[in-house]
Amino acid sequence: MNRYRTLPALLPLAFLLLMVAAPLARLLQEGHAGFNLALLQDSYIQWRLAWSLGQALATCALALLIGLPLAWVLARFDFAGRRLLLRLLMLPFVMPTLVAGMGVLALFGPHGVADINLQDTPWLLLYGNLFYNLPLLVRAGVDGLEQVPASRLAVARTLGASPWRTFWRVEWPVVRPWLASALCLVFLYCFSGFGLALLLGGQRYATVEVEIYTLVAYELNLTDAGVLALLALGVGAAVALAYAALERGLARPQRLAPTLRQPAQGWPQRLLLAAALAVLALCCLLPLLAIVWRALQAEAAVWAMLATPEVADALGNTLRFSGAALGLSLLLGLCHGWAAQRWLALRALVFLPFMVSPVCLAFGLLLLYPQYSASVWLLIAAYALLAYPFVAKGVLSAAAALPPQLPQAARTLGATPWRSFCRVSLPLMRPALRRGLAFAAATAVGEFAVSLFLSRPEWATLTTLIYQHLGRPGAANLQLALLLSCLLMLFALLAFVAIEWPEKNHARAD
Amino acid sequence: MLKKSVLLLALASLSLSALAAELRVMTHSSFSLPKDRIAEFEKQNGVKLSIIKGGDAGEMLNKLILTRANPIADVVYGIDNTLIAKASAAGILAPTSSKVGRTEKDAVLPGAVAVDYGYVTLNYDKAWFAKAKLPLPATLDDLAKPAYKDLLVVENPATSSTGLAFMLATIADRGEEGAFKWWEKVRDNGLKVSKGWSEAYYTDFSRNGGSRPIVVSYASSPAAEVFYSKEKISESPTANLLLKGGVFLQVEGVALLKGGKEPQAAQAFVDFLRSDGVQTGLQTKMWMYPAVAGTAIDPVFAHAQKPAKFSNPSLAAMNSKTAAWVSRWNRLVVKQAN
Repeated sequence: MNRYRTLPALLPLAFLLLMVAAPLARLLQEGHAGFNLALLQDSYIQWRLAWSLGQALATCALALLIGLPLAWVLARFDFAGRRLLLRLLMLPFVMPTLVAGMGVLALFGPHGVADINLQDTPWLLLYGNLFYNLPLLVRAGVDGLEQVPASRLAVARTLGASPWRTFWRVEWPVVRPWLASALCLVFLYCFSGFGLALLLGGQRYATVEVEIYTLVAYELNLTDAGVLALLALGVGAAVALAYAALERGLARPQRLAPTLRQPAQGWPQRLLLAAALAVLALCCLLPLLAIVWRALQAEAAVWAMLATPEVADALGNTLRFSGAALGLSLLLGLCHGWAAQRWLALRALVFLPFMVSPVCLAFGLLLLYPQYSASVWLLIAAYALLAYPFVAKGVLSAAAALPPQLPQAARTLGATPWRSFCRVSLPLMRPALRRGLAFAAATAVGEFAVSLFLSRPEWATLTTLIYQHLGRPGAANLQLALLLSCLLMLFALLAFVAIEWPEKNHARAD
Repeated sequence: MLKKSVLLLALASLSLSALAAELRVMTHSSFSLPKDRIAEFEKQNGVKLSIIKGGDAGEMLNKLILTRANPIADVVYGIDNTLIAKASAAGILAPTSSKVGRTEKDAVLPGAVAVDYGYVTLNYDKAWFAKAKLPLPATLDDLAKPAYKDLLVVENPATSSTGLAFMLATIADRGEEGAFKWWEKVRDNGLKVSKGWSEAYYTDFSRNGGSRPIVVSYASSPAAEVFYSKEKISESPTANLLLKGGVFLQVEGVALLKGGKEPQAAQAFVDFLRSDGVQTGLQTKMWMYPAVAGTAIDPVFAHAQKPAKFSNPSLAAMNSKTAAWVSRWNRLVVKQAN
């Protein structure tokens, strides 16, 4: 049996070796980076590191505190538009940071509709963090809570357990691994992010990744950059390993009759549902609505600019690149997730693409493969690198929840391991696989770090085009960028719906 | 019909790449020229132009330096006067000259051929100042006074070439110590630091939803505001605030890369960038002034007041000290503000 788990591991391992380990090693070699402790004694660097760590932990705590109750409500109550809401929740992931920032400021900025100016306050910083990270946690929580067997909940209630006690003793153990992996991701994003916090809070909230970017891209100080990048990698690896150990200890197969959702009944439940929806809308959807609202005010002349070949090309590129990246992600994610079930290290390696400093990776790839540096294959590989962990994560969680009896039965009946995988395991994992793919699509459509790679004008995607227009002054550029952002959201939403198209035999599950 | 044309296009590009030599041009991400001009160049010289965008100018240069053993391009456009000494010191440029046109007096770029120039300076929001009934600051020192508290946003010189240019101007004007004293004072007067030009202009500048009516931008920005206005306006909503020590002259140029292929086509590209068609066309694409003297200036530039004076450190000083200045700036302005 083990052979069938080991062989698929070779593909993602080779990919990670070529796309992450080798380029990083090449960059470190170029900078002769050793562990130069003098750099870490610098109080400025210490402050940057401490801030990076602190804000990432704080965001995790906050996202958990707010996200878990929301996830519970979404997992237990049925209401019209629930499925659409879950898709909409992935849209923040697609938005270019700058556009998201403009959406937030349109609400709470100096000229915002809310008429309170929160710019440059810690509140806006927290809000920005929730905008990006809450959806990750809520989706993971919903997925996890849906795995709770209905019979166990019924037993707990019959034995007179209070809802609170039922949650702690029955639901919490099931949802914990799902939350752990989402939190791990949130931490890694925040720790090494360039993101929205920086945009809304100003430069004093810069993370250590900003320091690495400056050292590499502006000063070409690869020695110091190497030290910091290794340190950041160390922190990321520690977190990912801790998660992997935790999840292995927690994951156990679940029964396949999941808890069914019910419409909210009575005033307390309805109020609870309304409150949860309001919080979600406030945190994740309002800034997007603000962008749509501002975009719709565009003049006819700006609307007409949407019909240019430039926009059509960008749309085509977005479709092609994310499609190719998704195909590669599916293959890599399936292999990695399936193989990682038994190996702790392989499980932690799922998160490797998020642990490595993107700018170091981009420069390392350039050093290692100069002849391919401006080739479309390297670009697609880079997209896939940042997208496939979502697929792998989905496969991993779903594989852990597979009841071992079913594939065993298939094998007993004479099916080959491959046939048993294709006919039994894969169909059971399909919903999780699709969810992973949807997140992977969001990453591929969004900007994540790909701007650091060499590019060609003919490769311009929607995101590139948005940034191009925001690189010039003038109201028409701003309006067009906002309209293009709406187009991007629409495109992403269609992709999410297509990927997570409801299956007939899974009509009730998402 | 569509399928057919796509197929034809694919065939055409295939045959072009099979027959014609390829000229690889590395540029920064703001590079933009009219498409018909590029097609014309390809036709006249029988080469296919491969434009490779390497990010911000500083980032692009470092990518070239790192790959100098296996050059990834034949010619580079976008190295400016803040970077040219670094590029020369790294030995990545081949001697380049052009016989096309005479260069404007100020557009000095030793080691490369100047293509265009422009000015980094302060822009202000006219409507904001009119509404606040506040007189415009007359000197940079005014910006450190209580009346002008919380009004200025600058880009971080560690992540933005615009921010870097502005910091260099203050150092050229006041000397290093004097400049950092000024930065300390404006920091205490509520200076906001943004990551890059786009962030500063579109989230912090009061004209676009932010709270700061003064932003570090380009002297051509008010003209671009008119050019890209929604309905045709006759007056720019922003204007330049040309203060002593707050104007930096930026000169951008093109150069051949050592070890590059297609030297003839590369030279033709250098001359092409100096040709009248490009010199005229680049003005409203990249919002810079043409470096070739005597080129007709687009009428929309009348909305942008051209600075008469500027303050630049010497090229040598910019090469040897910029990294230390940027580091000192961040320690002083970003960390202490916390």
